Amino acid sequence: MKFSYSWLCDHLETDKNAIEIGDALTNLGLELESLTDYSSYSKFVVATIKDFHKHPNADRLNICTVDDGTKTYQVICGANNVKKGLKGIFAKDGMYIPGTQIYLKKGKIRGEISEGMLLSERELNLSDDHDGIIELSDNFENGTSAIDALKLNDPVFEIGITPNRGDCLGIRGVARDLSAKGIGKLKPLKYEKITKLDFESPISWNIENDNNSCEYVVSRYFKDVKNTVSPEWLQKKLISLGLRPINALVDITNFITHDLGRPLHVFDADKVGKKLHMRLAKPNEKILALDNKEYTLDSNSTVIADNNNALAIAGIIGGESSGCTEDTKNVFLEVAIFEKDRVAKTGRTLGINSDARYRFERGLDKKMVIEGLNYASYLINKICGGSVSKNIDSGKLDTNERKIKYKFDYFEKVIGIKLEPKKQLNILKDLNFQINQSTEKECDLLIPSWRNDIENNIDVVEEVIRIYGYENIIESIPSPSDDEIVKINNSLINKKFKAIKKLKKILISKGLSEIITFSFHSTKAHEILSGDKSLKISNAISDDQSFMRNSMIFNHLETAEMNYKKGYKNIQIFEIGPIYNTSQSQENILSMLISSQENTNSIFKLEDFNFYSISNLVSNLISSLNFDAKQFNISRSTSNTFHPGQSAELNMGKKLIARYGKVHPLIIEEFPKLKNSYAIELFFENLPIDSISRTNFSNILDSQFQFSEKDFSFVFEKEQNLFEVQRYVNGIDKNLIKNVEFFDLYESKDLGENSKSVTFRVTIQSKDKTLDEKDLEQIHNNILEKVSNKFKANIRT
Amino acid sequence: MDIKKVLNEAIKQIERCSSQQELQNVKVAYLGKKGKITELLKSLKDLSLEEKKSTGAKLNSLRTDIDDLFKNKFNSLKVKEINSKLKNEFLDISFPPPNSIPSKVHPISKTFDEVISIFGSMGYSVAEGPDIETDYFNFSALNIPENHPAREMQDTFYIDDTDKDNKPYVLRTHTSPVQIRTLLNEQPPVKIIAPGRTYRCDSDSTHSPMFHQVEGLFINENANMGDLKGTLIEFCKQFFNVQNLKVRFRPSYFPFTEPSAEMDIAYEIVNNKIHLGTGDLWLEILGCGMVNPIVLENCNVDTKIYQGFAFGMGLDRITMLKYGLTDIRSFFSGNLNWIANNGFSIGDY
Repeated sequence: MKFSYSWLCDHLETDKNAIEIGDALTNLGLELESLTDYSSYSKFVVATIKDFHKHPNADRLNICTVDDGTKTYQVICGANNVKKGLKGIFAKDGMYIPGTQIYLKKGKIRGEISEGMLLSERELNLSDDHDGIIELSDNFENGTSAIDALKLNDPVFEIGITPNRGDCLGIRGVARDLSAKGIGKLKPLKYEKITKLDFESPISWNIENDNNSCEYVVSRYFKDVKNTVSPEWLQKKLISLGLRPINALVDITNFITHDLGRPLHVFDADKVGKKLHMRLAKPNEKILALDNKEYTLDSNSTVIADNNNALAIAGIIGGESSGCTEDTKNVFLEVAIFEKDRVAKTGRTLGINSDARYRFERGLDKKMVIEGLNYASYLINKICGGSVSKNIDSGKLDTNERKIKYKFDYFEKVIGIKLEPKKQLNILKDLNFQINQSTEKECDLLIPSWRNDIENNIDVVEEVIRIYGYENIIESIPSPSDDEIVKINNSLINKKFKAIKKLKKILISKGLSEIITFSFHSTKAHEILSGDKSLKISNAISDDQSFMRNSMIFNHLETAEMNYKKGYKNIQIFEIGPIYNTSQSQENILSMLISSQENTNSIFKLEDFNFYSISNLVSNLISSLNFDAKQFNISRSTSNTFHPGQSAELNMGKKLIARYGKVHPLIIEEFPKLKNSYAIELFFENLPIDSISRTNFSNILDSQFQFSEKDFSFVFEKEQNLFEVQRYVNGIDKNLIKNVEFFDLYESKDLGENSKSVTFRVTIQSKDKTLDEKDLEQIHNNILEKVSNKFKANIRT
Repeated sequence: MDIKKVLNEAIKQIERCSSQQELQNVKVAYLGKKGKITELLKSLKDLSLEEKKSTGAKLNSLRTDIDDLFKNKFNSLKVKEINSKLKNEFLDISFPPPNSIPSKVHPISKTFDEVISIFGSMGYSVAEGPDIETDYFNFSALNIPENHPAREMQDTFYIDDTDKDNKPYVLRTHTSPVQIRTLLNEQPPVKIIAPGRTYRCDSDSTHSPMFHQVEGLFINENANMGDLKGTLIEFCKQFFNVQNLKVRFRPSYFPFTEPSAEMDIAYEIVNNKIHLGTGDLWLEILGCGMVNPIVLENCNVDTKIYQGFAFGMGLDRITMLKYGLTDIRSFFSGNLNWIANNGFSIGDY
């Protein structure tokens, strides 16, 4: 919210300057967002163009002789309003021009010397007006400061109002809060109540019994008014807020909205019927609003209507057809209380952000209904003349004051510092709480009518500390308890983060870079990858971010492509983050993408990635998480993200642990530069966290006795799962078979189309003795026999 | 028999050898089964006891000397032979290795880690919640009812799917729903932080539709606002590594805390760079407050016994401030140059 220093001083008697007030506002929770202060403009002065003639070398420039009261200067000026005797604002050599952000420098313009500048409003940051230089209307003496000449001695505050502080959406409310903080004294409102209310309003009210949101409405009829341009003081006030003056009647309502925080509305009484209704809108009822847009309403919104038409959307905006213009002769002023939720909902549905809605939905001071009516009546009568009717109202204004029993020691319990009851009471009094009864321990409080946000003891504590000052809270650091430390050490989530850190370290040591991409999928990714399954974002910002991702691979391909365009040929990236399957299932996984181009370096023969190297990488990662990949069930991946013949998935029971392989060529069609791309997805959350976070974990047999190695070749059926063979061989003699390493795979026509020849090496070692020939022969035969029987494999010799 | 003569002869023959094989032959001629020295030793048996003693000692010493000579010569020949072989094995050591981009972790990872560790040292364990939240957990349970203007403080993404209350799911706009999830799961005392992804439909150099927050929650019988202030100041001192940190707590409003505060850190511009901790300008760091009893009651916590505080801060924001980064969008761009320039290598993570 914006307001000027002088406007604030209409309500507040203070000797504090703008900066002190700004600090106090922030300390009150009314955060100062900006303070526009023109005090540095005192260096710019009034000067007169004594004479001018055309620049010899430039048609559009003039050479002016300018007098600033002490001296005359030659100034080259391009403005089209240059004339003899014009009084403007002058800046000399070396001065900083705020609007253009440059320092003036004396110099020649097209061969003629220029010793200064006559300024436009834009050059002073006063407006966007750059049509010409400023022309002062009053007859200021040359040398008068720009602050005085342009009346810039009024700093403008802009503050942020949190949603609970509807009471500060009027300047008077801000002044009231400042006075509670000791920044001055609240002045009484100065206006005269109109006592001569000598006729009945010809227009009357009816609040319909249809559950519409109007609690109370009161009005007055103003006869024979003359709507005009507002007086200068009123125009200036509105301009200081950045509002455009329209006509006196409209300006008065805007003024009261900002001055008291009390929105009200004026109808041109000759454009509305004699009976006005507060009612729910009819389905699809239309109204052309004052913003010149037509809105279609539904029966959740309250409207103000006459017998024929909706005239205004209650609490939000008036209608174009019943608005006051300069021709308005008779006026009907409406001040009402609408339920804030209804206003909020209607406003949000229709997308209207008006000053009225902003205030209504934050809750109004009910006592301000009559105050607003009186103040507006006074101003209308004073500015526009005419006569004023008696009040006409409908509904019942519930102004019962809300009570609360407040316990003083709650303050210390919550805030941690002692504050005597007397001091607390003083603060509450300053905030206009009425203290009905008070003992050493507690008191009965009447809550000020404008503080709809205060309901509980905790709200009162907040008020007291807000005024007492957050800076007075004494800080302490609670030390961790033993229980807390034990909890951290046992926390599965803490352990998971440890395991994640370990993974990240391993991955960067392997040359992968960590990236973080959005949790979204583009529409394109959705179409290519997910079909109908993926979760759509109803109000996405762009097509690139319109679904929740169920895989990171597409995002990573996009990232790889972008980096490829930056010249990176070999891209190795990973991300640990969420993917989403349904609204209720999110998994955190590790996703890696390795995309390499053909290695052309004949000296440094870097590893070319293929399925097998990826498989090895997966195995390494899994062993760093204290598991052996070969203990999992391996099968071909059925994911449409991967090449069906060069991808695999590892499962532990029904849980997917890893999925990896070459990215499906159909996806690569979208990324033609990334032909050789492999992806790995590691679903580490499906592994028991206690196991993956364990340190110093392994169970490799250590023996001092001699080991023996023996190679075995078998011809298996082509689809034989070799993970199974390996597990089987390992299990033939757990005490003696230390290692089974597969190292050759061979397929040929000679073997037959459905066969493959596989060779593995078995390391045999006992932890009790050196095995002799006989022992070894026995185990060799055992392996040959069992493997060939179990898998119907032929022994190759 | 002249021992000296034998020795001199041996020295001559050994020196003449130019290969290990040649030397081996000479060695056999002296020390082999039928070698000169062996023969001489054999002849000892014909001598008298006294001669045996004196000649035997001399012969043994001669044998040791010659043996040493062979060992030395063998060694020097080996070094010579290997050295001459190495001459053919010289590579072009100046052949430039291929360029590779340094692989690093994202600065956010480093921040996550530090946040978990600093708060861990204060007794906070880590909690989690999902990114796709129900309207109830993200708003209503946190005392932000429908139509509350505070909902407009945050631009919410909605998912095209509804929960059991028939409300569309939302992408959590803050990490605060983890407060609710945690309190519904365990009775106080509760002391947790919850770092994670959060979302708002907003995008410019300081706003990203996705960003990271960390939530903190401490509920017990007496955690008060002084504890809140002390905890957060201590965190900032450690995180920003500034001992004399000028901070400001000022009143604010969040529906789920009461009283609410925002914490600012003082800064100044020195040589065109932000210097944190001193100066007259203020940077907003986080929002916090005492947990609103309404929220505790929504979680079935007995407010006659328990109270406490909560805080939330932007992890991207504190990362940007700590390392002087200016555009949040670059965090999520995947630009490897940016990661290499701003990320952390293994020793620093």
